[in-house]
Amino acid sequence: MHEFSIATQVLDAAREAAADHGAATFEGITVSVGEASHVNPDQLETCLEAAADSTITDGDLTIDIETEPAYAECACGWSGEPGEIDRALAYAPNLTCPECDARLELQAGNECRLMSVTLPETDDGSDPDAADSPDANTTD
Amino acid sequence: MYHTSRHPLTDATPIDRLLDRLLSDSGQSGLLGPLGAHRMGHGDDDHEHAGDAEADILAQFAEQADDLHERVVHDHGIFVAEFLGATGSGKTRLIERLIERAPDDEEIGVIVGDVAGEDDATRFRELGVSVANVNTGKECHLDPSLVEGALEDLDLDALDTLYIENVGNMVCPADFPLGAQARVLVVSATEGDDVVRKHPLLFQACDGAVINKVDIAEAVNADLDLMESDVSEIAPEMPTFRTSAEHGDGLDDLVDFLDERGHVHASDHEAYVAGTGHTHAHEHTHADGQTHEHDHSHEDGHDHAHTHD
Repeated sequence: MHEFSIATQVLDAAREAAADHGAATFEGITVSVGEASHVNPDQLETCLEAAADSTITDGDLTIDIETEPAYAECACGWSGEPGEIDRALAYAPNLTCPECDARLELQAGNECRLMSVTLPETDDGSDPDAADSPDANTTD
Repeated sequence: MYHTSRHPLTDATPIDRLLDRLLSDSGQSGLLGPLGAHRMGHGDDDHEHAGDAEADILAQFAEQADDLHERVVHDHGIFVAEFLGATGSGKTRLIERLIERAPDDEEIGVIVGDVAGEDDATRFRELGVSVANVNTGKECHLDPSLVEGALEDLDLDALDTLYIENVGNMVCPADFPLGAQARVLVVSATEGDDVVRKHPLLFQACDGAVINKVDIAEAVNADLDLMESDVSEIAPEMPTFRTSAEHGDGLDDLVDFLDERGHVHASDHEAYVAGTGHTHAHEHTHADGQTHEHDHSHEDGHDHAHTHD
């Protein structure tokens, strides 16, 4: 049961992100869970609910959990979502490149990401510098 | 009262979806965008996350593992091998055999993770090696900070080799690398010959697999060839070793593999880093004393006791 320690880290990260934007609390979080990670989305949700006490929000915390499929790139040029291993009794990406048979390394699908944090509305009804903040736009 | 929803991601990249939502969704207030440059509780400048649009929680554990690796492997020149697998797969016996066949002058330390108790730690102490026992209590796996704490009990300047025995568990350790040069997953014939297929993601997170207790495979009707072919299907190119740790059989190839991981690593740090699945933008300079050599003579397979304390 490692979801609780992950949930705690998620909430810490969200709290810190909210603080960076001058908010003491937050109302919602979106978390993306890679299908090839060992994080169980249902358990993570339960743990987030359990760990999100009144120090975070005095009302409802909206928890949005997305799943991220596996994605791999091969040195031969192939890239995409690897197939699943049929004979495996649990989900597992097929790490053999469909083009050249080399072993694939996953580029995505084995992570657990805090995607966004929803902040409470400020008194004047405006968003507290939300999306145009300097650290909110590092993209590739 | 909580609101939750579950939906698979579309083909769009995360940033595109977030932008879409930011531009189109007026129903939510104060939605923070992608948490790009956000870095949590970690002063390590070695890791560049400029390419990441969000905060990856698991990557924080991987970064902690990298710090451990940097300190133990590079600053102290210690070869680190982690053994994981189910309770009863034979991890402790296997490590005992590795200790027994090491040369007299090899200083060995063991970090033993168990939910409770001193049983394994006592067995290792009786072999004369340095032992740090970690009782995780409620945690089902070792994480980098637990290992960090265990290092306090060991004299890193003296050690050549550090074995880490993880808590008996086939699920959770996959997401928690510990900075070892070799992650070896130990399964045994007695767990059933479908044990590999039941735990594919853990195999994919490891560097080598041991199929143990092969001496009693027939008695428990386990098809070892099937287990081995499952490993190569699930984790292509992963070496598999058949052992009977109880009788000390089949260890030569495993020992060679561990030696090779240690030696290759000394010259090819990037291979390790690539295996941890995130970028790592710094150069290593190996100062004096940072390279480690193992003068094993494994062919003789003699038994001897270690006299250091």
